Amino acid sequence: MPERHVLITGATRGIGEALAAHCLAAGDLVVGCGRSAPAINHDRYTHFEVDVTDAKSVDGVFRELKRRFKRLDVLINNAGIGGMNAIALTPVDAARRIVETNFLAAFNFTREALRMMRSSPAGRIVNISTVAVPMRLEGEAVYAASKSAIETFTRIAAREVAPFGVTCNAVGPCPIKTKLTAAVPADKIQALIDRQAVRRWGAAQDVVNVVEFFLRPESGMVTGQVIYLGGAG
Amino acid sequence: MTPITSEAGQVGAITEAAVQDVVLDAIRLANLARDTGAQLEVSAEAPIFGPDSALDSLGLVALLLDIEDGLRAIGCEVLLSDERAMSQKRSPFRSVPALVAYITGVARG
Repeated sequence: MPERHVLITGATRGIGEALAAHCLAAGDLVVGCGRSAPAINHDRYTHFEVDVTDAKSVDGVFRELKRRFKRLDVLINNAGIGGMNAIALTPVDAARRIVETNFLAAFNFTREALRMMRSSPAGRIVNISTVAVPMRLEGEAVYAASKSAIETFTRIAAREVAPFGVTCNAVGPCPIKTKLTAAVPADKIQALIDRQAVRRWGAAQDVVNVVEFFLRPESGMVTGQVIYLGGAG
Repeated sequence: MTPITSEAGQVGAITEAAVQDVVLDAIRLANLARDTGAQLEVSAEAPIFGPDSALDSLGLVALLLDIEDGLRAIGCEVLLSDERAMSQKRSPFRSVPALVAYITGVARG
């Protein structure tokens, strides 16, 4: 198989950065998107500094990708934002930002990426959900709902993209020490971890492991699945 | 030829005849993968999607993506997305003439 062409949103830090580093180590050509400058400096890494919710900017990214690479093999919709708040205290604009980033951006990237994946021998789309979906945590209503949308989208997309030889799956990380979880109170995180089968923090490498499983050529029959880390669900 | 922008873009010189050629070529390409009893009509008046066509919704998606590729090859960059796409009666993709008019309209902004 030729080197994989991989597109990762939210590649600037945390899980996205770890995924990018993993793919580069595997010999892939990696394109990352993020709101800030990249942490990675590698001759097979290209970075686009964009807001993934800005449709015009995303359109520009895909134009450039088509011009440079023609083919896309992997899309990882990793960009996401959190926001722990009670429903009664959440401004509509805050809820809209979460849904736009966590769901609509992934939808738009998937829509565009599919056009470039038709020429891939094994197209792969991986979305990032969260254990907050099955755990139904108080204070996570909007965040978890946006990820529930991603899960349903994943399952239906799996059916729509299968005729093109593309799979679509999701991974739901347990708490991992990233910028997103840094804003959540420690006791809330601990309560969540205590409900897991494996009662410890996850690591970015745990997510990488599941994603790599989805990406393997042998995983062509694995689609429409959501795998949670830590035994949640 | 000047490439156009997607969805509601600006076009260079694109003619309905050129768009029709791309659409008919894409239908011929689709037929290569279809059974003899499920061939799509290849003509300037042919239905594409709806009660008079054998094309299902996933087949329509593949056909439209092939048409996008064909248009790109002649310098016309469009993204064929429309909320009426799957409507049996109002889909702009329901027939060759409707699709050609739709693409030409989008391409010309």
